[in-house]
Amino acid sequence: MSEPVVIRLDGVSKRYRAGRSRTVVDLIASKFRRGDEHVYSAARGKVDANVWAMKDVSLDVTEGAGLGVIGSNGAGKTTLLKLISRVTWPSSGRVQVAGRVVSLIELGAGFHPELTGRENVYLGGGLFGLPRREIDRRFDEIVQFAEVETLIDTPMKRYSSGLYARLGFSVAIHSNPDIVLVDEVLAVGDAAFRRRALEALRRLISEGKTVLFISHDMWNVRRLCDSILWMDGGRVRAFGPAAEIAERYMNEVNLRALANQQNALQSHRGGTGEIRLTQVDIVDGSGRPADRIVEGSALVVRAGYEAAERVHSPVFQIAIVDVDTGLVVASATSSAGDMPATVDGQGVVDCVFQSIPLRRRQFVLRLTITDSHQLVSYDVVTAGPRFAVVAAPSSRAGDDDDDDGLVALPYRFEHRVTSGVR
Amino acid sequence: MPAANVPVLSDHAERVGAAAYWELLLNLTKREVKGRYSQSLFGFAWAIIQPLATMAVFTFVFSRVGNMSGDGVPYSIFAYAGLVPWFFFLNSVNSGTMSLITYRNIVTKTYFPREIIPFAQVCSRLLDLFAAFAMFAGLMVYNHIGLTRWAWMAPVAFVLLILFTTGVTLITSSVNVFYRDVSPVVQIALQLWLYVTPVVYPLSRLKPQWRFWIVLNPLTGIVETFHSSLVYGRVPDWPVLGISAAFTVVVFGGAFALFKKLDRYFADVI
Repeated sequence: MSEPVVIRLDGVSKRYRAGRSRTVVDLIASKFRRGDEHVYSAARGKVDANVWAMKDVSLDVTEGAGLGVIGSNGAGKTTLLKLISRVTWPSSGRVQVAGRVVSLIELGAGFHPELTGRENVYLGGGLFGLPRREIDRRFDEIVQFAEVETLIDTPMKRYSSGLYARLGFSVAIHSNPDIVLVDEVLAVGDAAFRRRALEALRRLISEGKTVLFISHDMWNVRRLCDSILWMDGGRVRAFGPAAEIAERYMNEVNLRALANQQNALQSHRGGTGEIRLTQVDIVDGSGRPADRIVEGSALVVRAGYEAAERVHSPVFQIAIVDVDTGLVVASATSSAGDMPATVDGQGVVDCVFQSIPLRRRQFVLRLTITDSHQLVSYDVVTAGPRFAVVAAPSSRAGDDDDDDGLVALPYRFEHRVTSGVR
Repeated sequence: MPAANVPVLSDHAERVGAAAYWELLLNLTKREVKGRYSQSLFGFAWAIIQPLATMAVFTFVFSRVGNMSGDGVPYSIFAYAGLVPWFFFLNSVNSGTMSLITYRNIVTKTYFPREIIPFAQVCSRLLDLFAAFAMFAGLMVYNHIGLTRWAWMAPVAFVLLILFTTGVTLITSSVNVFYRDVSPVVQIALQLWLYVTPVVYPLSRLKPQWRFWIVLNPLTGIVETFHSSLVYGRVPDWPVLGISAAFTVVVFGGAFALFKKLDRYFADVI
């Protein structure tokens, strides 16, 4: 038997008014211009006054689901959570929810800095609809989870922001919810707390609670959620198994980022400037410009330079940096010996990577030209061209679900029996 | 999952029970009172100082300069009996008007019945009201004014006062979310309101053509009843009180309906 539906959206749209709010003058004017729903913007002239934060969304979420909600900024993720938590109401359509909803749109939103932690636990618990008796019963649990035992009778204005958030999170998840809405709130707090918070959410899911989890951190989404809702421009772009949707989303995000950036190098950059990079291109093994590199294939970085004066044995350094973590996964240096003793005028340096054993992520090039002792930097490009590593056409999406990290090492497992069964 | 726990979809937020929201009201009230009097030298004493000081001013202006009398009781007692409910009304409406904006961070982030916020404002002023009444009891004893059997009308006036104050606060706070003009308009209106309410002058001193309009003000019957029941110890002016009671019920009912109609848009425009 399938799980019952606990959240149902039926043709839900949410409209906001754009521009400044209406003044008396606008009100009077609107009496004469009926049905004119426009505002005036200095840049674009007359524009539609309505901004659709959500347009015609229909959705069923079943009990006990861990649902990740992803999408770019302004895609309607937070609007979705606000509609489900009844903070706001749809302009049209119907939102139905079964059970108690606790929304963690902002941790500790109801807390008052003048009150002590203890008083705020009761205040915050009350906001989540928890009666005093119930809070009494779970008080120690709440305080222990947040690890604020020593500060519980101190006014919360003395708390650090991480501590504030921890207590807010703890009150929320201990308030006996059926449905938990989490909006990108785990960004605060230290790593240990983030891990415990994720554990707590995972436990809620295993107890049959429903968790909606907004995050830009695909890693966390994948670990917590079994399905993903991808919102785009206020509509549902995709809704399905986490691995598949995450893969499609990451591919698109990478491609969109590539489309936005040109090979133009930043105008402001470091270095003393005797020699400058003029053009950096990424080409594939067959010499064609490429912003997508198939896993394991060749990659060539082609760097054009111009020397303003005679420079003795410059060293070119090219690093491949992971966009999300900033980790450097490969660094190539053309040593003084590979270069002519002096350069003057213009030239091109090719750095050839025979194979790129990187995982499907987005990378950015960092380029530096230094003197032969690497003491003086002539030119530093910290954010050069980007490229995405994509799957080979033959491979299936999400087939390496358990592989993470930056580098794809070729491996296999071998198994031997070392003691026989009698 | 036992069959009894099959979730039922609902178009409205789950009601978690009146008890929890009562707690929330108490906690918000506490938060309000604590916030108001923390880091203040006189603290809670302001609840008494405010009407006392105003009483002193009006006593000087009206009875010494303007030759107003208290109709058989000291004018100061008469004025204080009117000023105590008046300041409750004034302060509640004043801070209540901005309350939803002040609490915007919880209005836009969590669900709970929004009327709890203006309710908490009124409740937090109740404490001031009780303190000021305690002071009033002292003044009565000092001036050797005893209570009569009509003192029981004071609680009636008290209930009407709370209902009317809450009603006005519900209207001003909710409309203020949409148009911030409400706040300055309320400031001006409250200044005038004091003079169209028989707080510092007896209703009997008014000319009949004025009296008719003043009686239509719901606060008139309420304040008059405080005067008649406590200061004079006589039967209230039933028609005046009746008009007040009727208007108060209409205002409160209408205000609550308006508030519930508007509250679903609060988070969008606040």
